[in-house]
Amino acid sequence: MGKLKKKGQAGQAKNYMTRTQAVKKLQLSLPDFRKLCIWKGIYPREPRNRKKVSKSSTASTTFYYTKDIQYLLHEPLLQKFREQKTLEKKISRALGRGDVGDAARLERNAARPDQTGKPRYTLNHVVRERYPTFIDAVRDLDDCLSMLFLFANLPSTSAVPAKMIARCERLCLEFQHYLIKSHSLRKSFLSIKGIYYQANIQGEDVLWLVPYKFNQRVVGDIDFRIMGTFIEFYMTLLSFVNYRLYTSIGLKYPPKFDQTMDDQAAELAAISLEGANLATAGETKAITNGEEQKIDPKVQAQVNKLVKQLRNEANGEKPDEQMGEDGEDDEEKATDALDKFEPVAPGGDVLLQPSYSGNDPSQLFSKFTFFLSRETPRQSLEFILRAFGCKRIGWDPILGEGSFTTDESDPSITHQIVDRPVVQAAMDEEEGDGEDNQTSRKLGPNQRYPGRIYVQPQWVWDSVNDEELKSPELYAPGAALPPHLSPFVKPTQGQYDPTIPLEEQQTEGEALDAEIEEAMEDGDEEAGEESEVENDMDVASDNDDEDEEEGSDGAEDEEEEEEDEDEDEALERQRELEAEISGKAVKSKQLDAKTKANLDKKKALEKKKKEEAEDLERAKGMLSKKKRKLFEQMQYTNNKKSAEDVKLRSKRRKLDKEKAAKKA
Amino acid sequence: MPVLRSKSGNTDAPSQYKQPSRKGKKAWRKNVDVTEITKGLDELNTQIIATGGVLADKPSTELFALDVKPDTTIAKKFPKHISKGLKADEIIAARSAVPAVSSRKRPAGDKTTDGVLPVKRQRKEYVTAKELRRLKKVADGQHDSTVAVVDATYDVWADPEPAPVEQELENFVPKKEQPKKPKTLHEAPISLSANGKPIPAVAKPKGGASYNPDFTEYQERLIEESEKAVEAEKKRLAELEQERIKLEAALRSAAEAEAAEARADLSEWEDDSAWEGLESGGEELSVKAKKPRRKTQPERNRIKRRKEEERRLKHEAAMKKKAAQEHRIKQIALEVAEKERQMALQKVELDDADEEGDDENLRRRQLGRYRLPEKDLELVLPDELQDSLRLLKPEGNLLKDRYRSMLVRGKMEARRKIPYKKQAKTKITEKWTYKDFTLE
Repeated sequence: MGKLKKKGQAGQAKNYMTRTQAVKKLQLSLPDFRKLCIWKGIYPREPRNRKKVSKSSTASTTFYYTKDIQYLLHEPLLQKFREQKTLEKKISRALGRGDVGDAARLERNAARPDQTGKPRYTLNHVVRERYPTFIDAVRDLDDCLSMLFLFANLPSTSAVPAKMIARCERLCLEFQHYLIKSHSLRKSFLSIKGIYYQANIQGEDVLWLVPYKFNQRVVGDIDFRIMGTFIEFYMTLLSFVNYRLYTSIGLKYPPKFDQTMDDQAAELAAISLEGANLATAGETKAITNGEEQKIDPKVQAQVNKLVKQLRNEANGEKPDEQMGEDGEDDEEKATDALDKFEPVAPGGDVLLQPSYSGNDPSQLFSKFTFFLSRETPRQSLEFILRAFGCKRIGWDPILGEGSFTTDESDPSITHQIVDRPVVQAAMDEEEGDGEDNQTSRKLGPNQRYPGRIYVQPQWVWDSVNDEELKSPELYAPGAALPPHLSPFVKPTQGQYDPTIPLEEQQTEGEALDAEIEEAMEDGDEEAGEESEVENDMDVASDNDDEDEEEGSDGAEDEEEEEEDEDEDEALERQRELEAEISGKAVKSKQLDAKTKANLDKKKALEKKKKEEAEDLERAKGMLSKKKRKLFEQMQYTNNKKSAEDVKLRSKRRKLDKEKAAKKA
Repeated sequence: MPVLRSKSGNTDAPSQYKQPSRKGKKAWRKNVDVTEITKGLDELNTQIIATGGVLADKPSTELFALDVKPDTTIAKKFPKHISKGLKADEIIAARSAVPAVSSRKRPAGDKTTDGVLPVKRQRKEYVTAKELRRLKKVADGQHDSTVAVVDATYDVWADPEPAPVEQELENFVPKKEQPKKPKTLHEAPISLSANGKPIPAVAKPKGGASYNPDFTEYQERLIEESEKAVEAEKKRLAELEQERIKLEAALRSAAEAEAAEARADLSEWEDDSAWEGLESGGEELSVKAKKPRRKTQPERNRIKRRKEEERRLKHEAAMKKKAAQEHRIKQIALEVAEKERQMALQKVELDDADEEGDDENLRRRQLGRYRLPEKDLELVLPDELQDSLRLLKPEGNLLKDRYRSMLVRGKMEARRKIPYKKQAKTKITEKWTYKDFTLE
């Protein structure tokens, strides 16, 4: 017999520690312990067997790894927490005695570390410890960015001080500047919650969520002390990440921050980037609009003169070019620098033409000048446009400082983003010159500046996500917008995708089916005059189809489909019977050659499928029982899904057909 | 005078202290005659007032001027009495050469003084009520953040410079060892999702969450959410029903108890009748003793037949039961197979659908004492669906969302706000003393 082991001396009982034990061991208060755990990344754990670990019977005890807690004992922050605790004790003692002045002095001295010589503590060392490499930090940036962007948009309260909010905002702006400079923004999505952004930073995809402006309700059931703790850590982290990112592209960190611009809601324009090396340190790179922050009046006057001259030239000499063409065309022509490959001789090889779609997506908007109407979300639009290469963005003065121009009639504007409804023409006539609102002073409600493209904001998002400029007609003001799809959903094989034409996604069998059906319907129409009964049946089956559309459950639909098949067979039989009664030949309908060929093809396909299924069955026999079951399940789900996709595609086919019929 | 002289220190010959004795009343401050000193100081003061400085300190060029030529024009210009002026005017016009002390009020903290007048003592100890409240809070542990968040000025991830290799010979003191990080420190937190896979910090949004969604995606989502809502409502109603039934049963039992009590009261009255001699006799109920007798043959046969019949019935019942059980077993087997299939299906679906856990289906056992907060319903209803960004009414609360995400990812345990501290229960009693009663 081996040595007897005592209970609770080894194994799980020693590996875990309850929260109370940990707090006692570290000599901290519970809130301080929570803070430390959040900063150091120590999470509650779950032992495999609670009974073996804790002597108490409470089911809700939280456990930690003993080794984690042991390691926390070495933490330099612990000393700071303890100092704070002693200070609290001193203050409360003084207050208890009635020495209010003493208490105030103690507190004052502690709050002025520069005078007492005790430095305030930072979380710098924790950042390195938790993220040993930079890539680790980037991988974990999702949460950090979401939190900071959220707090940057919160109203200041007693729980969330204004200082913290300002700091968050600044860090976020710095980060956005990096994304703009490095063109690393990839996708963005307008959801009902907020705006999602995805960027690619050094090969890592970072996804974060930014709330819409002025929307945050601060609710009571959130522990702001804990959120604040996270924010403190994340602020330190993002600051270091920003430093690294800025230095990686040769910029100085921290960039210059202009408080007065920020007070005037300049947002991105409040920060001006500087080169890192000493030679270029002096010159500030104005990222905003090519405008310097401090303008020399003399230079400005000269520039104004020049611009005026240029504009006069443009207006006077080539007015037709300005007014006559669409902005889009203008752009195309102006930048049509690519050579066209033309066949040397007639009938020669036709070469693939170089196209702009293959261009660098990060320079998508680089040739345009945008103007944002006052009802559009400026912050997000500005960020996205700049990140995709746009240099000149103007907006209504209501939207804040830092725009390229606040003048809506600026002739250099190529695109205007509007999001207001089109006013009815009748109203326009009635009112005529009743100018009571602000816009009508400048321009009539429905009037447009010629030579400019008007689009709704969604155009920007859809263009960015598809990495090509979408056709602006679809997004014209007042037009019914196409659905805004999520760019984060990865399409799977054979799945229905509304953005791709039907021909590219349907399977061979489906296409054949569709053609045969079409041919049959044509035949029906011809034969319709002959027998009314058939027509009635057709109507009935149509109704069934509609029912099917209304149905939602996949399984139900499947059943119905099966029923449909049955019905089809029944129909066939009915026809035969009728033919017998009326004494006609069974196949009254003339099948043309094409349909026949299709039918043959279909038969061949079915045969092939059958063979494949048999092969599969045989192969399945080789598998173990467990694996076979799993395989069957997989097949089952796949079939279910593909059935749904087939249904969707058939629906689309129907719609397309209707559209074609309408057009014809 | 000596030619060589040290640069510092006293060069005179050593001598006794010139100070007279400090002992005795003569040495007291009030007995020391300082008139000479005060006189000198007064004189200095008058000099300063008259000329703006001490005469002795001034260079002679300032004090004296060489007036070589007489100004002859003045006498001619003015008559003698006017040029001389009145004595009263002269007195009034006399001004001190020292500029006047400005009458501007100085801030309290300014402690500049001329050294003559004492500084007005400030009430430094005064603490405003607001400050006091804050102090009390600080003493209670609710202080502002003590973390200094400053702009990063260096790269944390840069490789540290290699420490200079020290010569081991000279270094007797062993190097301080850094604590080793435990492996457990880098373990991922427990994900609270049902499938145990890590939940992403920001889930990738599905198409149904779009502000201008595709119809099919939106419909799918709407149906899913509405089914959930219906389920929840059904559950709620069922609970209500349960409650109601419980309450009714309680009421009924209470009523029954009351009735029983009332009956008991009544029976007391009935008992009284015994006293009146109306009691029914108990002797009539007594059973007569059975006499032993031999069974006849027909009786035996009857008994035998009955027993046979009973056995048969019993056997039939048993057989029936067995058949039913067999049937049931078959059913159960089918059910189990179906269930297994479903489970496997679910597993497969989960496996191939997402490698990430979702924050909707959570596991049963959660961290901490409190339940996780429910996820907000983030859905725009069909009648509120707009295709314009301007008209969009954002749904959900991001603050709550972030908070819940932290909890669901197992970064910490759920907490609940406790708005009031638990108060000690007070029991109110009336106090009776002998003084409250009076005897008459």
